[in-house]
Parts: sequence; C-alpha cells; structure tokens
Amino acid sequence: MARRLLLALFSALFVLYVAGPVLWLLSSSLQMESEITAVPPNWLPPHPGLHNFTAIFTAGDSAEYANRGIAGFLPSGAANLLPALYNSLKVGLWVAGLNLLFSLTAAYAIAVIDFKGRRATLYTVLATRVIPDIALVVPLFLVIRNLGLINSIGALVVTYLAVTVPFTIFILISYFEGIPRDLYRASRIDGCGHWGALRHVYLPLSLPALVAALMFAFLTSWNEFLFALVLTQNAAAQTLPIIIAGFVMDFTTSFSFVNAAGVIAILPPVLLAIIFQRYIVSGLTAGAVKG
Amino acid sequence: MGLRLSYDDRSAAVLVFPVLAVLLVVAAYPILYSFWVSLHDIVLTRPLRRPFVWFENYERMLGDARFHTAVLRTTVYTVVTVSVVSVLAVGVALLLNETFPGHKLLNALLLLPWATPSIVNGLMWKWIYDPTYGLMNAVLVKLGLIESYRAWLGDPDLTLLLISNAAIWKQMPLAALLLLVTMKAIPDDLYRAAKVDGATVFQRFVHVTLPALRPGLMLVLVYETMISIRHFDLFLIMTQGGPGDASYTLSWLIYVETFRSLRFGTGAALSYLLAMLTFLLSWLFIRFLGEKTA
Repeated sequence: MARRLLLALFSALFVLYVAGPVLWLLSSSLQMESEITAVPPNWLPPHPGLHNFTAIFTAGDSAEYANRGIAGFLPSGAANLLPALYNSLKVGLWVAGLNLLFSLTAAYAIAVIDFKGRRATLYTVLATRVIPDIALVVPLFLVIRNLGLINSIGALVVTYLAVTVPFTIFILISYFEGIPRDLYRASRIDGCGHWGALRHVYLPLSLPALVAALMFAFLTSWNEFLFALVLTQNAAAQTLPIIIAGFVMDFTTSFSFVNAAGVIAILPPVLLAIIFQRYIVSGLTAGAVKG
Repeated sequence: MGLRLSYDDRSAAVLVFPVLAVLLVVAAYPILYSFWVSLHDIVLTRPLRRPFVWFENYERMLGDARFHTAVLRTTVYTVVTVSVVSVLAVGVALLLNETFPGHKLLNALLLLPWATPSIVNGLMWKWIYDPTYGLMNAVLVKLGLIESYRAWLGDPDLTLLLISNAAIWKQMPLAALLLLVTMKAIPDDLYRAAKVDGATVFQRFVHVTLPALRPGLMLVLVYETMISIRHFDLFLIMTQGGPGDASYTLSWLIYVETFRSLRFGTGAALSYLLAMLTFLLSWLFIRFLGEKTA
C-alpha cells in the first residue's frame, strides 16, 4: 500500500515536471494576446482557438491578419516562418536519407570486414565528435565561405551529416555485431560479395537500428541551431530554430505568436519520438551496458 | 605485404570512403585550419593585414578578464547542471524501473524534453520566467513563497541557475535512459541475497544498486559534462551573456569575439582552449573514475 502511494506520488511529480512546461506553452499558444497578458495568467485558454496558427500561415498577408482584430504585433520576419518550416523539412529529410546510406556502408565495413586500418577508421570517425561544436563553427564558417556555400541548404546538409554520422555508425556497429556471424559466412558461401551480404543479410535484419538512425539524424538536424545560425543568412536557407530565435529576441513580437511558432517547431520531433519510442530508446542506449 | 589490395580491403575502402570524405571536409580540415587561424591576428574589419603572431592570441586571451569570468561562469553552470541532472536521473530511473499501471506512459513522456528543440526549450522557460505574465511568478505568489512579482532572469545571482534549470529539464531524460538500461542489467539474485541478509530498501540501494550503476553514472557524467561545458543555444536566446556578465560563458565569449567583434584569430584561439579543456576533463574522468570501476 505504502509502495503504491509513493509510486503514485512520484509518478504525478514526474508527469508535472516533464509535461507541465510544454502544456503551458500549448495552453499559451491557444490564447489571444489579451488573454495571455492577463495577471494572474489563465491556466487554460478561456476561448481556445487556432488564431495564432492561422496568423502564422497567413503571415504573408498582413491586411487579413489585422482584420481579425487580434491585438498582437507580427514581426517583419513572420512571413519567413513557412519557408523556414519547408527548409527544416528539406534539410532533415536529406540528412536522414544520406546519413542512412553513408553510415550503413561504413558501419558494415567496420563491423564485418577485417580490413587494414579498421581500428584507425573507427577512432577517426568517433574522434570528430569530441571537438565542441562551438570550436568547429568558426573554421567551418571560413571553409564554407571560401567554397561560396554560405546560405545554402547544401552547406547545412553536409554539416549535419558530419555531426550525425559518427553516432549512427556507432549505433549500427553495435547492432551488426549482434547478428550471428554464421549468416554472413553462409551468404559468402552462397556466392554473395560484400554488397550482397549487406543487402541480403544485414539490411533486412537490422530494421530497428536503421529506424533509430533515421530518427536520430532527422531530429538532430531539425533541432540544430548554432551551425544554422552561422551558416545561413536569409529565407533561402534559414531553418525554423533561426526564425524562432529571431522572434524571441525581438521585444516587439507578441508572445501568443512566439508560443504558437514554438508549438509548430516542437510538434514533429515530439510526435516522431513518441511513435518510434522503442527504436529510439534502444538506439540511444546502444553500447551503454557493454560500457 | 604486396602492392595489391585484397577483395576485403578494396570493398571496405569503397564502403568507408563517403563518410571519411565528408568528415575530412567538414570536420578534420576545419579543425586543422582553425589552428592555423589561431596563430594569426585576423580581424575581418581589417581584411588585408593578417600577420602571423605565433601564440600571442592565446596569451592575450589567457590574460583577459573576460576569459576568467567566462571560465568561472562555465564552471558554475556545468557543475550545477551535471550534478542535478545525475541526481534527478537516478531518481527517475528508479521510478521507471518499477512495474506499475501507467509506467509505459511515463516511459513515453520521458522522451518529450529530449525531443524538444533547444530553441523552443529556451523560449518556453523564458516565457515561464517572464516578469509580468510568467507562470513562475504566478505559482510562487499563489503558494505564498514570494510577496510580489520578480524579474527572474534579470537577477544576476539567479540567471545562471535558471538557465541551468532549463538545460536540466532537457538533458535529464537521456541520462535517465542510460541509467535505466544499466539498472535493468543488475541480476535479481543480488537483491534477493541482500533481502535474505536483512538489508532494508535504503541499504539495498546503497550497497547493490549504486555500485552496479557506476559504469552508467560514469557515462552520464562524462557525456553531460561535455554537453554542458560547450552549451550555447540557451545563453543566446535567454540572456545573451547578461545581465552584466552574469551568464557570460566560454561558448558565449567565443561567439561574441568571433561573430560580433569579428576577431577570428582570438576566436579560434579560444575555441582551441575550450577543446583542450574538454579533452583534459574527459581524460581526467576516465582516468580517475574509470579505474575504480575496473
């Protein structure tokens, strides 16, 4: 009995701590500017509605927004939000796809083939992640600028590939090592080369790890801020976090609008994380037990 | 050792090439290039004169008062964040390790902060801390803990802790997951044996759970320290180093020096100092904590 009460108490505290802040953000995003600036605050929206979201999606047309009679100021950057959403999606999908292709082949080689320089390759790949992003961002800016690729989607895709690939290779290697070696030998005896073994043995057997890698790559690029801040300059390549950060630092922007933009940015990663929870957890904790 | 490579070597070279090419261009080359830059006095507002100055940038930064402040602020932020994350994560892992109705829901919820983009995390907490409309003021006044509303982030004594709080919220889940896997690997026999010996719940936690958690905790400590020491996003979006220099951390200093003052030479030197600090710390952790585990 005491155990049950304690568990219920701690579960409640846990839910409050983890979900509370996000629910408050969600509640704020469904209120009008006049409701959001009430003191004390409205815990729940008195007249819940999607007006802030409609405002975002029609931001290009400011006259229409004024007609809705919402007392809130739309920042000049508001019209960039939709293009940014599109950029984020595009970068995320490219990174997820290329990451899978690149890390799949590299992980297969490192986990399965006994080649010269195997260890050196593995350590080189992992070592690149020890350098702090903030230390990498200055030279990377210079390199990308010299290549004339500043403010392009491609620069972001290549950068995020480098950021995500070491970890996804790590996930895939620990998964591949769990696949019985006999299957590999059998496929080789049946006349498969390395490409065949990868396609017919390792690819179909490692679906959970592949999903984890896809999710990790997409979420990382969707959420990334620092590199995007430095490498992009306008709506042609700026991603969602950059536009939103601009709103937050602009004191004239109304909160209802900022909160709604926040909800739009949080929704895709949170939904993906919850749908693919099992795969993500097993991917994130790959190798943690082995130590 | 002939000149001809075997089938294995040739296949591996083809399979590994794309990854190595990307890492070479986007990671390895910039890192080396950065070192070269750090030895020059490069200011973008004065593009034509960029003399080679040996280690002068490093010397200048090591003697700079802003650098000393930044090291202090980074240390406070990192120590607070890492220790609170670790303690909270042990608690959460203990809770999620139990089986009870609804524990699957809690497991799913745990990923919510992890998946939240750090920029949204920053705006969310900034809104909670808001001096006039924020939730924090309203709740604390209602509970009778404060008399009147306060400008939380404007208080230099609290800023760093409040930013840390936002970081803890986001970083705790991964730490808890790592500890949970370690916890699930503890054989039940150990607990049963302890029970037979008459150990209380608390004694079982101290003598069975904690020692077995050591490898997981070690991983969490190293990982969270690396993340915190280099953290940037929240500082930009919540306080921009302020008020005064209350949240002026190393990553913020690097950003200001490079992209606001456009002094790329000293910026690169600072980046190298931060990278070396990171290496040193991870080496110390592995050296002193790792040995006890073995």
